[in-house]
Amino acid sequence: MVRSNDNITSIENIQQAFRGVDYICSKQIATTLYLAFRLNKPILVEGPAGVGKTDLAKKTASFLNLPLIRLQCYEGLDESKSLYEWKYGKQLLYTQILKDKLNDIVREKNNLAESLEAIHQYDDIFFSPRFLEPRPLLSALQQRKGSVLLIDEIDKSDDEFEAFLLEILSDFQISIPEIGTIAAKSTPYVFLTSNNTRELSDALKRRCLHLFIPFPDAQLERDIINIRVPDLGDSLRFQLVSFIQQIRKLDIKKLPSISETIDWARVLLLLHADCLNMEIVRSTLNVFLKFEDDIAVVNDRLYELTQQATKEGHA
Amino acid sequence: MERVLRDFIFALRNAGIRVSVSESLDAAHTLDLVGYEDRDTLKISLAAALAKTPHEKDIFKECFDRFFSFTDYSENVSESDIDFEAESDDLLAPLTTLLISGDQADIMTSLIQAVSKIQLSNMQFFTQKNPYSRRILSTMGIEGLDRDIRRLDETGMPGAMQQAEALRDARGRLFDYIRGYVNRYYDLFTHETRATMIERQLKDMKLSAVEERDFLHMLIIVKKMVKRLNDIHSRRRKSFRRGQLDFKKTMRKNITYQGPLFNIVWKKQKIDRPSLVVICDVSRSVRMIVRFFLLFLYSLNEVIGKIRSFIFCNNLIDVSHIFDDYPVERAVEILRTGRGLDIGLSRTNYGEAFINFHDQHMRNVDKKTTVIILGDGRNNYFEPETALLRKIQEKSKRLIWLNPESVPFWGSGDSEMKRYGPLCDVVKECNTLRHLERIIDDIL
Repeated sequence: MVRSNDNITSIENIQQAFRGVDYICSKQIATTLYLAFRLNKPILVEGPAGVGKTDLAKKTASFLNLPLIRLQCYEGLDESKSLYEWKYGKQLLYTQILKDKLNDIVREKNNLAESLEAIHQYDDIFFSPRFLEPRPLLSALQQRKGSVLLIDEIDKSDDEFEAFLLEILSDFQISIPEIGTIAAKSTPYVFLTSNNTRELSDALKRRCLHLFIPFPDAQLERDIINIRVPDLGDSLRFQLVSFIQQIRKLDIKKLPSISETIDWARVLLLLHADCLNMEIVRSTLNVFLKFEDDIAVVNDRLYELTQQATKEGHA
Repeated sequence: MERVLRDFIFALRNAGIRVSVSESLDAAHTLDLVGYEDRDTLKISLAAALAKTPHEKDIFKECFDRFFSFTDYSENVSESDIDFEAESDDLLAPLTTLLISGDQADIMTSLIQAVSKIQLSNMQFFTQKNPYSRRILSTMGIEGLDRDIRRLDETGMPGAMQQAEALRDARGRLFDYIRGYVNRYYDLFTHETRATMIERQLKDMKLSAVEERDFLHMLIIVKKMVKRLNDIHSRRRKSFRRGQLDFKKTMRKNITYQGPLFNIVWKKQKIDRPSLVVICDVSRSVRMIVRFFLLFLYSLNEVIGKIRSFIFCNNLIDVSHIFDDYPVERAVEILRTGRGLDIGLSRTNYGEAFINFHDQHMRNVDKKTTVIILGDGRNNYFEPETALLRKIQEKSKRLIWLNPESVPFWGSGDSEMKRYGPLCDVVKECNTLRHLERIIDDIL
């Protein structure tokens, strides 16, 4: 198993490289990535929705220049959809096409037992890799140059699927009864994300490094906005981030995430706003608040929130 | 593995983080990679390898800060240089010699030996800090040191007096250091276990004996318990009846292949999310315990979607809305006192309650519902209406009766348990949290 670790020499290096693909990596993220790369361990990423968990895997793929293979988990996901499937159609078609050949083989035999015996010599050809339809997990293991495997929202899958993942995560190999054990050609970098809708099993956690990405602090969020929406003016950026940070302290149903901050920044840019005022905030609240009740709560306190934001923006 | 890491992991385990062997190995590898140079990096790396939930991360942070704040003894005694004439050396106690030599490594060794000898790890309460410090000191030989100081004082010579003074200083510093050591030891290795100890005791305590002031404590434990149970059970799960061919489905599935059975389908069952009806006695005979039943009911109500709650005494009323409308303390108070509710709180009448339930609320019960009755079955010699209870049992999936009285009292006096019991699917004694937990685990 070979891994191209050339551009992963130090933690600072990773931070810098990620900046190059438009992703701001906090020290915590960079350190965990570094360890995962070095120890060949999967990373379990947790955190509130929209803080860039999935994006982390995507950016890792583009920074390492490897294909990203994504497996979206859902209730009822099973082996045939995640790992491999036999191509029934193809198998059937081939048996039809090869009917004559099969007849030839059987013709010379005198009785049923002998015919069966004769066919037995060939039955393996219909269960060979040729008839295997690789699904995300298998295809991640088959990549020659390595890959980034993203197992998204693992908490949505069933317990059975989680248990079945264990073999892949610890040994990077899978067992197919008809063929045998298939080991990874080169170890993939594995990311698992979870929104914590249920507790994951200890066995799974034990095999992973754990990374918790919280909402960013103001400084980090400003950096992120700066890199993602570079055309936004400095003072507006300060005000916007300060406003969002205040909102996250309120008691509302769904806190705005980074992706929503970015959306809002883009909207403000489109509207040619150069500073926050009550009017413009009120008309764009629905960009980052997704519940009627939440909008009502913020609307009530709009004045003080905007005041505070503009004040901090100037400071 | 390194000693420091081992101790740290021990401290983590003590604080309630479950660290497996493979995780400690990961931590050791991490250490090899990042080293001890940068505190932040070390903290992040170890956290990634050892703490795997947000809750654990918080504990980890606290533990890390506390653990790596351990100072060396050297900072405390750096200025200790005591002049002594060589001739008196052979008379001195070992501890005196140690302090005079000022060799910090030796002093630490002696301290650690003393710590393991008196088994400091047995310390459980903060009141034990001082006795334990004393015992460490005496194990290290403080008496000998004191004797030496006294003897030097008694000589009355100016030089000796000075030496005695210096020794007294060194003794004071050692004393301070040991006290600090014990304090930190307590914080790291003992503190958290105390919390779990209280929890354990409360869990096994008879609910009727739990005092008012522990109410909040109980609330937390109950919440935790319900949450855990819900985590395990809230999802619809399929269980497979192993090896039973689902012939109809297999045929349907394989029509596309014109006959050959490529896809074989096995029989499976869906286990549904629980649907509950809880009927709770709030009369005086169960007064002591009813608060916790209600508390539990409240927590269940928060996490289980399909639940209807009823309370009764003289008559029976539906109280599901109370749980939704009020915070827990208030809800429990309202239900206990029956204030503002249409309920008579004088003499329990199970028969009447069953009549009420049967006439007005039977539609809540279907073949998927589990009915739980919480009560002691003391009916004040009213008509027990066992026929109605049988009807409820027949219509529900399961009928469970939880009785706070212990088994020998069932059927004594006005208790109708001997008549009600056989009609239920499950009858259990239930008067500690642990009972409750086990039973609810069964139900879900």
